[in-house]
Amino acid sequence: MPAVQETIDRVRKIDVDQYKYGFQTEIAMDKAPKGLSEDIIRFISAKKDEPSWMLEWRLEAYRRWVTLDEPKWARVHYPKIDFQDLYYYAAPKSTPGPTSLSDVDPELLKVYEKLGIPLREQEILAGVQKTDASELEEASDNVYKSGRVAVDAVFDSVSVVTTFKKELAQAGVIFCSISEAIREHPELVKKYLGSVVPTSDNFYATLNSAVFTDGSFVFVPKGVRCPMELSTYFRMNEKNTGQFERTLIIAEEGAYVSYLEGCTAPQRDENQLHAAVVELIALDDAEIKYSTVQNWYPGDAEGKGGIYNFVTKRGDCRGHRSKISWTQVETGSAITWKYPSCILRGDDSSGEFYSIAVSNGYQQVDSGTKMIHLGRNTSSRIISKGIAAGFSQNTYRGQVSAHRKATNARNFTNCDSLLIGDQCGAHTVPYMEAKNSTAQFEHEATTSKISEDQKFYVMQRGIPEEEAIALIVNGFVKDVIQQLPMEFAVEAQKLIGISLEGSVG
Amino acid sequence: MNMHATPQRTLAETALIDAFGERLSLLPGDGAVMLKRDDAIEAIKSGLPTRRIESWHYTDLRRLLTSVPDFDPAAVAKAIAPIVEGSSVLPVLNGVSSAKWAAVEGVTVQRLSEKLTDGSIAPGLDSYGSDDAIGALNTAFVADGYFIDIADGAQLDKPLELQNLQAGGQTHVRLAIRVGAGANAVIVERQAGEGAALVSSVSQLLLGEGAEVTWLVVQEQPDTATHLAQFKAHLGKNSKLTLFVMNAGGKLVRQEVVVKTTGEGADFTLRGINLLAGDTHTDVTMVLDHAVPHTASTEVIRNVVTGRARGVFQGRINVHQYAQKTNAKMACNTLLLSDDGEFSTKPELEIFADDVVCGHGATVTEIDHSHLFYLMARGIDEKTARGLLVKAFVAEVIEELDDEAIVEALEARLDNWFVAHG
Repeated sequence: MPAVQETIDRVRKIDVDQYKYGFQTEIAMDKAPKGLSEDIIRFISAKKDEPSWMLEWRLEAYRRWVTLDEPKWARVHYPKIDFQDLYYYAAPKSTPGPTSLSDVDPELLKVYEKLGIPLREQEILAGVQKTDASELEEASDNVYKSGRVAVDAVFDSVSVVTTFKKELAQAGVIFCSISEAIREHPELVKKYLGSVVPTSDNFYATLNSAVFTDGSFVFVPKGVRCPMELSTYFRMNEKNTGQFERTLIIAEEGAYVSYLEGCTAPQRDENQLHAAVVELIALDDAEIKYSTVQNWYPGDAEGKGGIYNFVTKRGDCRGHRSKISWTQVETGSAITWKYPSCILRGDDSSGEFYSIAVSNGYQQVDSGTKMIHLGRNTSSRIISKGIAAGFSQNTYRGQVSAHRKATNARNFTNCDSLLIGDQCGAHTVPYMEAKNSTAQFEHEATTSKISEDQKFYVMQRGIPEEEAIALIVNGFVKDVIQQLPMEFAVEAQKLIGISLEGSVG
Repeated sequence: MNMHATPQRTLAETALIDAFGERLSLLPGDGAVMLKRDDAIEAIKSGLPTRRIESWHYTDLRRLLTSVPDFDPAAVAKAIAPIVEGSSVLPVLNGVSSAKWAAVEGVTVQRLSEKLTDGSIAPGLDSYGSDDAIGALNTAFVADGYFIDIADGAQLDKPLELQNLQAGGQTHVRLAIRVGAGANAVIVERQAGEGAALVSSVSQLLLGEGAEVTWLVVQEQPDTATHLAQFKAHLGKNSKLTLFVMNAGGKLVRQEVVVKTTGEGADFTLRGINLLAGDTHTDVTMVLDHAVPHTASTEVIRNVVTGRARGVFQGRINVHQYAQKTNAKMACNTLLLSDDGEFSTKPELEIFADDVVCGHGATVTEIDHSHLFYLMARGIDEKTARGLLVKAFVAEVIEELDDEAIVEALEARLDNWFVAHG
């Protein structure tokens, strides 16, 4: 058994220092009192200036939530969460609904600058002041060339700024915070909110429905190809807060949108809760590409602190020939409980799931997907790569099912796990359910360590061991990295390197 | 979603609990055995497993077990010929073992009722987990079976055939076999009968160092019977077990395979064929523990689903932290031939050691059209062509067993099923 002690030593070297987003920012915050009750929900709803139907929707979810127990089936262990010991609303005080960047607290902008999200630069580049239509067109032409990204930045409970809004509006795309959408586009929100993940879906989704504070809303109208990548950056800053964001993306007939999501949080000893809900709706011939780079604080080397990430993500291929593609790179969080799924309702629709889950230290990852084939000629593809190091547990849990009417359903699943060190675990729990004789499902999974032969081959060419391992790991995850938009692919590759630093080099 | 209510007992649960009260005075066992029985019935009292219990996710026993027949001590089970001519046969007829048998050199046979009465089998009656409903049911009611000891170094030249033949009512049988170091044997477990019975059957196998055993489970219950079976084995150092399971009958069938490698160099092979027809439910669930370093396992399961049948295969391979150099491979292939049929599979890997090679594959599909075309282009009609392809799909697994007599015997059982189910 080669290099065990060596590996353990290396894993030990992994230090809190390696989480470079671990700073916290002193910003005056407006907080609701601790705990959860109908009053708190009324408070949140009032803060957000919501219509009464929204409040009712939240209260109904809350009333259901109190009757539910936490799900226990996942392979994650953590002390019981005291839901009354959390703040459910925290907003930077000085930003009562920012309309432009100049209204935003400069401290906050600094945070995003540190995170490498160039809100200001991009705003300047985009020339928000320009109102002349020709200039705008010129600007949107540039989009393709410069690969600019519209960003919605969410700080604790509120969306602080959304860039490129005007330019997007020109194309007919609505991209704003969900709170704004509830106020400005209630008919759209009312029609689609909860239609993919109903309020009664599961414990965390129900909690989210009751208390969600912000998130992004995207609406791409019929026939529009969204002119740029859309992106949301989530940052959890305040102590003891839970972040409950809600994202709703709708692509109408023939529309296309690519959406990126990134997350970070400061280093804290206590655990923070993050329970998001993401709903995607693709109508006829529409395509939604949703990419996540999740890098919440994973806890320190002893497994202290870190984010509990309980997320419900689901896409509904409601229309014929629609397509939803999930790509995720999961490197952060103490606990990840996340199963981005596709409901393939429309005929000829297709779903994809590409995932890299890297766990180190005492992280616990239980992630995977569900592909529910309902329509005819539907197809799905799952590629999952799990890398476990240190004392972590990395589980792939996925379900593929073909219902009676899903003739010619096709699925291909491949989940590979790589183990680095002998104190970690890698698990594969796939569920396959075929109720139609024309369904064709293939599933394959492997678990192994980096083979000595591969390592030898690379090292023999003069590449030092650490680099050799990094090279092999990157090769291992290549299938998934390729699916990410350019900007994220680079970031993801770096992240994987950082996450495994000390354990593989 | 996660709301809990204390459910009312189902008819089947009530019938089982009542039956235990009635049977208690007739059940053999010393104090230790009776204590195990009490624990077991307590487990049943807390409810049969539902789909909420992960290992029973696809076989909701509480819902599927709708009725439990009464015991029928007067019923007569018919003896049947062994699948391989010349085998030594040990029958259990309607739950009762035979008092006489032909002696086989190196083999010591005892009736299980005696081992229950003197309590020497008590430690073996423990459940392997809280979800072990079959173990609990069997422990509560088991009255007979065989305890067989194959001496160190014994080389059996003929198969040993253990027959569990039901005649309706309930039968709860246990077969416990110890195979000594370096011994070599072929054991056939026949499960059949003619009634709408509830059968629980537990087989326990202990393999000594270097022992080699081929164990065949041939289950051909009528489509009125509920068959709940368990095969448990511990594999000692350098031992080799080839387990072959064939399910070709039964209304509600669950065959559990619980295997643990306890000695380095142990090698486990599972080959399974599930032939499903009619309105039936068949579940094969395997839990395999690689507990020590340097052990290997391969599993291949082939399923044919016709009619309104529902099939399940769950296979979990646990590789313990110290079980380095484990080599485990599992495959489950299903031919789903009817639109009303269903097949669900859950091949799991739980791996805590890093220096291992583990993999699993699963497919569900219909007959390959190009294969069908190939045969039909040669003048073979569609029905025959389909039959050939389906048979080839499962026969492939049988042919791997390199004992001609056994291969022939199993192919005969296969033909039997194809004749009966077109």
